[in-house]
Order: sequence, then C-alpha cells, then structure tokens
Amino acid sequence: MKSTGEKVLSLRNLTMNYGSKQVLRGIDLEVYQGQIIGYIGPNGAGKSTTVKIMLGLIDGYKGEVEVFGQNIASGDPTYKRRIGYVPENAEAYDNLTASEYLTFTGELYGMDRNHAEEKAVRLMKEFDLGDVIHTRLSSFSKGMKQKVLIISSLLHDPDLLFLDEPLSGLDANSMMIIREVLSQLAAQGKTIFYSSHIMDLVEKISTRIVLIVKGKVVADGSFEELQALSEEGTLAEIFNQLTGFTEHRSIAEKFVSIVREEDGDA
Amino acid sequence: MRNFRTLKFLARFRGLFTRFGIDFDAMQTILRIKLTMDERRVPTIFQNASKKKDGNQFLKSLWIYALYGLVLIPFILLGENYIFQMSIVFGMLMFILMTSMISDFSSVLLDVRDKNILHTKPVSGRTISAAKVIHVMIYMTFVTASFAAIPFIASVFRHGLAFGLVFLIGLLFTMLFIVVLTALLYLVVLRVFDGERLKDIINYVQILLSVGVVVGYQVFIRSFEFINLDMVYVFEWWHVVLPPLWYGASFEVFLHHDYSSYMIVFVLLAVIVPLISIYCYSRLMPSFERNLEKLLSDTRKRKKKWTGLDELWGKVTCRNKEERLFCRFAMLMMRQEREFKLKVYPALGIGLVFPFIFIVNELRDRTLADISTGRLFLFIYFCNLIIPTSVHMLQFSGDYKGSWLFKAAPIQQVSAVYSAALKAFLVKLYVPSLALLSIAFIWIFTGRILPDLVAVLLAGIIQTVVTYKFINNENFPFSKPFEFAQDGVGAKMILPFLLTGVSVLAHLAARAVDYGIYIYIVLLLAVVVIGWRVVFPKRVKAIY
Repeated sequence: MKSTGEKVLSLRNLTMNYGSKQVLRGIDLEVYQGQIIGYIGPNGAGKSTTVKIMLGLIDGYKGEVEVFGQNIASGDPTYKRRIGYVPENAEAYDNLTASEYLTFTGELYGMDRNHAEEKAVRLMKEFDLGDVIHTRLSSFSKGMKQKVLIISSLLHDPDLLFLDEPLSGLDANSMMIIREVLSQLAAQGKTIFYSSHIMDLVEKISTRIVLIVKGKVVADGSFEELQALSEEGTLAEIFNQLTGFTEHRSIAEKFVSIVREEDGDA
Repeated sequence: MRNFRTLKFLARFRGLFTRFGIDFDAMQTILRIKLTMDERRVPTIFQNASKKKDGNQFLKSLWIYALYGLVLIPFILLGENYIFQMSIVFGMLMFILMTSMISDFSSVLLDVRDKNILHTKPVSGRTISAAKVIHVMIYMTFVTASFAAIPFIASVFRHGLAFGLVFLIGLLFTMLFIVVLTALLYLVVLRVFDGERLKDIINYVQILLSVGVVVGYQVFIRSFEFINLDMVYVFEWWHVVLPPLWYGASFEVFLHHDYSSYMIVFVLLAVIVPLISIYCYSRLMPSFERNLEKLLSDTRKRKKKWTGLDELWGKVTCRNKEERLFCRFAMLMMRQEREFKLKVYPALGIGLVFPFIFIVNELRDRTLADISTGRLFLFIYFCNLIIPTSVHMLQFSGDYKGSWLFKAAPIQQVSAVYSAALKAFLVKLYVPSLALLSIAFIWIFTGRILPDLVAVLLAGIIQTVVTYKFINNENFPFSKPFEFAQDGVGAKMILPFLLTGVSVLAHLAARAVDYGIYIYIVLLLAVVVIGWRVVFPKRVKAIY
C-alpha cells in the first residue's frame, strides 16, 4: 500500500495471549492518514482484541504499537485525545440522557462543557434525534443508541476513528448517511479503522481491506488487489475463499434438517 | 444534571488531588456522571410507570443505618471503661461498613463497563481509579455519618469535646481503612486468578468475608473477660490483629493517659495501617485496572455439569412438566448467579453459625449434658432467618434483561414459575442448611427433638410462602436488576423476619402441652398444603 500522508498507526509483530490461547500471532500493519481500513475476519479472529490493544484497553501484549508515532506502552493517555471509538456492543451508561452522555464524553476528551453540549445537540438534530435529546439511553432502540455512540466518537473531531461494527442496528437511510460521513471525513484527512461483517459495505467504502484469520493477517490491500488474489467476484466470496470456507450450503442443509426433526417427546 | 454539593465540597481539596497527579476536572466530571446515574435506577424491562422512582434510593435507605446506630448509645454512655466500650463501638462500625462495602459497593470497584467507556478516553488510569475510590468513599461517608452521628452527639454530651474529637478522627481512619482494605483484597484476588474462576473466587471471598466479620466479632468480644461484672482488659499478643482495639485504645491513651506500651502500639497501628494501605492502593491500582480485564475473558472449555440431583428434586416436588422445568431453571440460576450467592450465602453462613455461637455461650456456665435436656434446640430457628432475604433476592438477576423470555414463551400456568422458584430455593438452600444443623442438633439433643425439627421445617415452608406473598407477589423471578434490591425493603422485610419469632413462640406453646407438638405439626402441615394452593392457584392465566 502506498503512503499518502503521515503514518498514523503502526503495529509490529503484535502478539497476544489469553492464558494458553494465542489470540494474535504476529500482526504487522501500517496505516497512513486518510485511509479507510476495513478490518475483517471471522468471529474470534482477533479483530476486537487488536482494536482494544490500540486503545490501551488491554495490556500484556507483545510487540510494538505506535499511534501517531507514540509508543502507547508509555502509559501516557494523551494520544487518546485524537481518537474516537465506537465500541462493539453499544456499551454506554444507559441511565443517562443522550445529551448528558454526549456532554460527558466530550468533556472527558477535554472539550468545554457548554461547547460539547451545544455541538452534541446540533449533531443529534442532524441524525433526526432532536426529540430525544433529553431522553435516557435506556429507552432508545438499538439504532438510535448506535447513532448516539457514533456522535460521541466524533464530537471532539478526532483524527483517527476506531469503529467496531458501527452500522449495527441502523436502517438503510442512516447507513447511507454514515457511509457518506465516513468518506467525507477520510477525504479531509481523517483516518478510519473499522471492523464489520457486512461485506458489501466494506467492499464499497474501504480504501484498503485487511483480512485476519486466527490472529494473522492473510490479505491486505485494496478491493481490486484482493480480487486479483482470488478468482471470486464479491468480497463475501473472497472472504469465504480466503478463510477456507466453502461448505455453507451443506451446513445449511444439515441445520435445516435438524430443525425439522420430529420432537421425540411429542 | 445537578451540581452536587458533595462535589463542591471536594473541589476545596483540588490542590491535594493535583499534587497526587490526578486530573481534578476529569475526576469531577466522572463523579458527577456516576452520582447522576445513582439517582436513576429505573428498570428498562417491564417498564411500569407507577414504579418509576427518582432520587438516590441508597440515600433514602440510610435511615436504617441511623436506627442501627442507636445500638451504640448504651455502650458510649455506660461508663468510662473506654477500651472496652469504644472497641465495641468501632467493632460494630467496622462490621456495618464492611458488610455494606462488600454487598453494595463491590460492584463499583469491579465495574468492567468503565473499561470501554472511560479508558478509551484521554484520562489517566490514576484519575479513573481515584474517581472510583472517591465514589465509594462518598457513600461510605454517608453510611458512617448516619450510623455514628447520633452516638457521636451523645458522646460529646457525656464525655466532652476531647472525646468527640478522638472519636471523629477514629471514624475517619476506620472508613479509609475499610474501603482501601476491601480494594486491596480484590486486588490480590484479581492478580492470582483468571476468568470465570476469578469471578467465583471473588464471590467466595465476599461470602467468607461477611461470615468472617460476624465470627471475628464474636472472637473479639471474647477478648474481654467478665470479672465481677466489670470488664477488665488483659493484653494478649494476638490482640494486635484486632483493628477495633486499635481505635478503642486511642481513647485510653489520649483521655486516660494510659501510656502502656501496648496501648501506644495500638494507636500507632490505628494511624499507620490505613495510611500504608492507601499508599499501597495508589501504587497497585494500575495493575488492578489491568487485571479487571480478566473478568471479561474466559478461555477454558467446560464440560456439562451433572445435574441428576436437581432432576430428582424437580420430579419429587413439582406437579407438572412446566413447573419442573422452571424448578430446574431456578436451581441453575441460584447456583450460577454470583450476585444472588453474594447476597444470600452470607446470611446462610450466619444462620448456620449462630445457633452454635449461642450454645457455646451457654457452655460457659452449664455442661453439655445439662443443655441437651433443655429447650435450647430452638436456636435452630436461626436457620429460618435466611428465608426472607433469600425469597426477596429471587426476584433479581444480573441478567434480568433475559426475562423477556417469560413473556414471550407460551407458558400455560404463570403461577408455576414462582412456585417452582420457591421450591427450588427450599430444596437447594433451605433444606440442606436445616439438615446440616439438624444432624448436629440431634447429636447434642438426641433423637427426642425429631418432631420439633419437622415442625421447624414446616414453619420454614410457611414462612417462605408468606414472605413471597408479602414482598414479591406475582413478579417473575430473576427479572429485576439487583440495583433494586435495596428499594423500600426496610419496613417490608420486618414482618417476614418477625414470622420466625412467631414460629418460636408457637413452638414453645405447643411444647407446653402433652403431645402438643404433634397437633402443631398436623396444623402446620394443613397450613402448608392450603397456603400453597391459595398462593399459587392452579389456573391458566389470561393473556394480559
């Protein structure tokens, strides 16, 4: 991959063990400013672990991790000021109202309280959440909550975004907005690193796709470059092929036949 | 969002926090959010407008601590034997603080949700841990204040201002000591263990600690000897490990000018140990946070557990397939729900230990043979005191959100869900505890008490049903978050507890008449059968 700007992320021989289980087996990755990285892989491949390590959530990894040229092992949290993060399973303090939660996270990123609140309200309105600004997150639908979390990750205008399944629960229209937001941000020099299982989305918006399987990078390049690697057409098919998965039809058949079995007790 | 007075007060110490490398503004922001959230604990599932309550439920339950605190007053007013009186006062204070800390605030220290939300932000780990401890401290201050305020005022009137001052400083150090001690304990456990095992171990540590505090209290009381109705303190080397004595001693040193070397040592310990603990805590906190992550991961594969006994109990106690299913479900939940165990097992342990403590007490002036002919076996009713707490706790679960299942599934007879849960509680927790005690009691009191034990069991079952009817009535079990466990319990729980007393009186009355106990058993049995039918009618509930 050609460099287009400042080096934003650099992972060198990153390994991670949970007990005796090796989750990451030597990841090497360099990410440059303005890239939209689609970080994909099967469940349990180590995607979230990688992201959590870069955010300083997990210690005990081996190898080197640099974010904005700073080795994060130093323990200085200031590098996080330039990062936005949307967590995997929509974790938030649900007892707070949307505006309270957003103001809170904005403040934690060092924003002025009033400024954070005012900006949050404006962003909420753009997302059609104007009516629920002062409603508690606990009553939000999954999609609404996801929008709030996306706003919270962008409020402080970060240079690097980590998004873990950012579009889960969103309707088609909202998805289109977010997609457009991401590409415009990237065009203005922001770097976006996101993981998703929605392959046609990854295919369409990523400038670069990184596929990891069992804790190792198995493919890294633009969609066209990945296409050249394999004879399959769509990213989903490339994904199946590169992860060595071909028997979806026979598994489905077996599954359905088990579902359809007569109940023994009846 | 309000501006909390507590936070304004804290702002006065801004300089102090900054000196320790804490970002005061960030800490204040975090605390403001945490306090706001504490004020709003509203269930998200089964939302019910009438139940919506605002305001900090914990603060509203503080009056109960003030009530407990009244117990201290006689000890303070009693006389001038400070080491005795004040050690007891501090012993009780530590007991209250420790139990409240373990059962209500462990979750704050061990909150993993903070990890994703706070640690991804540019805030230092030190600041986050400081916020955590201050958050707990704020509540512990409230607990301490409500518990000790009235005794404190009484003490100033009785013993003067100097006494009050020593008392106040003692309170402050005790509080610090208890909070930091608990945190350090978790720290050690987090370091040594891993994954699901870790969660179990934490659970057991909490349970052991709660029981340990009660037993420790008994040991502590024993360190005083009654001589001519007056308490005389005799120093033994092992008293050094009894923290209440440290604080009791400071009154002797400062007010009675008793400068014996052991008294001085006690006072030094009272001051130095909390300070050292705080130092250790601030040094070790980063590793604490790191190890918290372990709570989230479990990589071990497990085999299916053998549940034959559960199956058997289900078959014996339940009327139909549906009820049996819920019975097995409830047994599983009780076995695996850690928070349930945490809230219930300490009571269980205490229920098991107390009868013996009282019997051992009696042994001081009577022989075992003498005791065995008497009515002291009625102490076994302590076992029934576990019922109200346990039945109350059956409503709650950490995974309460999963309870949509009860409404979505085609359940024929809704009342079976709860009757099954109660049966599961009886056979899994109550009967085994009672059986254990019974074996010991038959050994002490011989087989003559067998009918009495049957009566205890039946009274226990009645108490279970009544408690259910009185406090839970018709909710699905395991369907509310534990945060609600505190809500409005105080007054409502008194009646179910009193029921144990009523059973004891009824039992005594039955024993006063020849063959009375047998009539009593028959009566109880009738009440059990009819009561269960009335509370859990066998009707199919209409869809609501």
